[in-house]
Amino acid sequence: MLAFIGRRLLIAIPTVFIISVFVFLLQKLLPGDPVLALAGEDRDPATLEALREMYHLNEPLIVQYFYWIGAVLQGDLGMSLRTNQPVTSLILEKLPVTFQLAVMALIFAVGIGVPMGILSAVYKGSWLDYIANFVALSGLSIPNFWLGILLILLVSVNLGWLPASGYRPFTVDPVRSIETMLMPAFVLGTALAATLMRHTRSAMLTVLKSDYVRTARAKGLRERVVIMKHALRNALVPVVTVSALLFGELLAGAVLTEQIFTIPGFGKLVVDAVFNRDYAVVQGIVLVTSVGFILMNLLADTAYMILNPRMRDQK
Amino acid sequence: MSDNAPLLAVEDLSIMIGRQAENLVDGVSFSVMPGETLCIVGESGCGKSVTALALMGLLQTPPVHITSGSVRFDGHDLLGLSVDDWSDLRGDRMAMIFQEPMTALNPAFTIGDQIAESVMRHRRIGAEAARARALEMLERVGIPAARTRLDAYPHQLSGGMRQRAMIAMALANDPTLLIADEPTTALDVTIQAQVLQLIRDLQRESGTALILITHDLGVVAEVADKVAVMYAGRIVETAPVEALFNDPQHPYTIGLIGSLPGLEAGQRGSRLATIPGLVPAPESMPAGCRFADRCPFATATCAEAPPLREIASGHAVACHYAPLEEHCAPEQAA
Repeated sequence: MLAFIGRRLLIAIPTVFIISVFVFLLQKLLPGDPVLALAGEDRDPATLEALREMYHLNEPLIVQYFYWIGAVLQGDLGMSLRTNQPVTSLILEKLPVTFQLAVMALIFAVGIGVPMGILSAVYKGSWLDYIANFVALSGLSIPNFWLGILLILLVSVNLGWLPASGYRPFTVDPVRSIETMLMPAFVLGTALAATLMRHTRSAMLTVLKSDYVRTARAKGLRERVVIMKHALRNALVPVVTVSALLFGELLAGAVLTEQIFTIPGFGKLVVDAVFNRDYAVVQGIVLVTSVGFILMNLLADTAYMILNPRMRDQK
Repeated sequence: MSDNAPLLAVEDLSIMIGRQAENLVDGVSFSVMPGETLCIVGESGCGKSVTALALMGLLQTPPVHITSGSVRFDGHDLLGLSVDDWSDLRGDRMAMIFQEPMTALNPAFTIGDQIAESVMRHRRIGAEAARARALEMLERVGIPAARTRLDAYPHQLSGGMRQRAMIAMALANDPTLLIADEPTTALDVTIQAQVLQLIRDLQRESGTALILITHDLGVVAEVADKVAVMYAGRIVETAPVEALFNDPQHPYTIGLIGSLPGLEAGQRGSRLATIPGLVPAPESMPAGCRFADRCPFATATCAEAPPLREIASGHAVACHYAPLEEHCAPEQAA
C-alpha cells in the first residue's frame, strides 16, 4: 500500500515539473507589463529598468524560471505585485476557508447524490427514478448563483434561520463558521450531487445485472444486503474516483458562490488577482491548485485500490 | 416413479419474456426424488437455464415472468411464497452453481467471507463458527492450502478453483437440492472431469438431489438417473438415463445422440451428424411441434402440438409418432 502511494508520488514529480513550466510560461505570455503596473504613474525609464533588474526580468527565460522555482521550493511564491504581501501567506489564509467549503459541499453532494443514485437504479423505471432524474437534471441546469440568491431570500431574509454572510474561521467560531457555510455548501453540493447521482445510478445498474449479485441472491441474502453490500461495494469504485475529482474542482474555488455569500475564499483571490494582473498571485494559485488536483487524483487511486482488491496485486 | 413424494415437482411451468406471443418455457413438468440426479439437456437457448433460475426465484422480473404452473419443493409451494420466505430456502435447502466461475463470485470480498456469509444467513452461528465451516467446506471441495485460500480474493484463484469455491458455497448449508447450470462448460477440459467428479462425490456423500443442466450428452451418460430433453422451451422427451440412450424416441433426441462423435471403428473419420437448421427464435415459434421445421419425419400432423405421452414406465415423449416402432419407421436419422 505504502509502496503504491510512494510510486504514485514519484510519478507525480514530472507532472508537477511540467505544470510548473507551463505556469511560468503562461504568465510570460499574458498581455500587459507588470513593471508598468508596478511603477504606476512614474514612467521614468530608469525606474522601469531598475524594477526589471530587481525582478530579474532582463534575464533569459530559463534563468528566470530557476529563480522562480528555487524560491517556490522554499515556500516563497513571491510577493503580490498589488498588495506587497507574500503570496504564500495570501494563499494559506484563503485555503482553509475554501477547504472547509469544499468538504461541506462534498458531504452534501455525496449525501444526496449517492442515495438518490442507488434508489433510482434499484427502482429503475419507477416514479422514484423519474423524480431522481428530474431533480438531477434540475441540479445540473439551475445556475449556482441563482439558487444561492433564492436560498438567501428564503432561508436568511424570510425565515431568518441562517446568516447570509459574515464568515468566521472555523478555529475562531466553529458554529458560526458552519452556519455561514451551510447554504453555499448546499448550493455547490447540489450541483455536484446531480453528477454523482448519474454516476452512481449507471454504476449500480451495471453491477445489479452482474453474476455475483445473482449469486448473492442465490445465497438467500436479503435484498437490502444484496444491494447495500454486494452491489454498492463494487458500484462505489467509479463513484469514489468522480468524487475525488469533483473535490479537486471545489478546491479551485467557486467564484460566484463565494461572491454571493461573501466568503473570503480562493475564488475571490483568483478573480482579484486576474483583474489586477497580479501575476505572482495567479501563478501561486494555479500551482497550488494543480498540486491539489494531483493529490486528489492520488487519493482517488488509493481509494480505488482499497475498494477493488484486483488492483492490489497489479504492479 | 417411486412411491415416495418427490422433493421437487414442477407442473406445467410456463415462462414468458416481455410481451412476446409465445412462451420462452412452455408447459414444462418434471420431478426430482430426494437424492436423485436429473439432467436437463438441450441446445443453448432452449430454456433450460431460465427454468433453473425460475426454480430458484432468480428470474429477472421484469421482463421475464412466470405465466403459469406450480413448483412444489419439500412441501412448499414456491411460486406462492413471499419474497422473504423464498430467500429463506435459497442457499439453505436449495442451492445453485452457475456456469461462469469467473464472474459469479464478488470480486470485492474474500472467498471465506462469501462462504461464511451464506452460513451466517441461514444458521444462528457467529462469525468464527461460520469461518470454520467455510474452511471445512473449502477442504471438502479439495482446494489445496484451504486455510490461506480463505482470505484469497476471487481473482487470485484459477477458474477451476473458483468453481470449487462456488460448490463449497452452495453446499455449505447441506441443501437437499442442488441446481448446477452448466457447471463445467466454462472450465478447461482437464478440469471439467475433476469438477464433475467432485459434484458427484459430494452429492453421494450428502444425499443431495441434483438437477444438472448441460448440453453435453457425455456428462448426462455419466451422472444422470433421469433425463429431460428440452427443445425450444418444451420438454420433448424424458426418460431414465438407460432408456434414453438405448431407446431414444423423439427425433430431436435421436438427432442429439446421433451428433455425438463415436469412438467405434468405422465411425471415425466420418463426418459428424448434425441436425439441420436452427432453434426457432422465441418471436417466431411455430404453432405446432416446435421441432417440426428441422424434423426429417415431420408430416402435416405436426402442425398440431404433440402432448408429452408416457410410452413406457418413466419414459414420456412429445411426438405424434412415438413410439417409433408402432409407426412406419423411415430411414434412421443418424
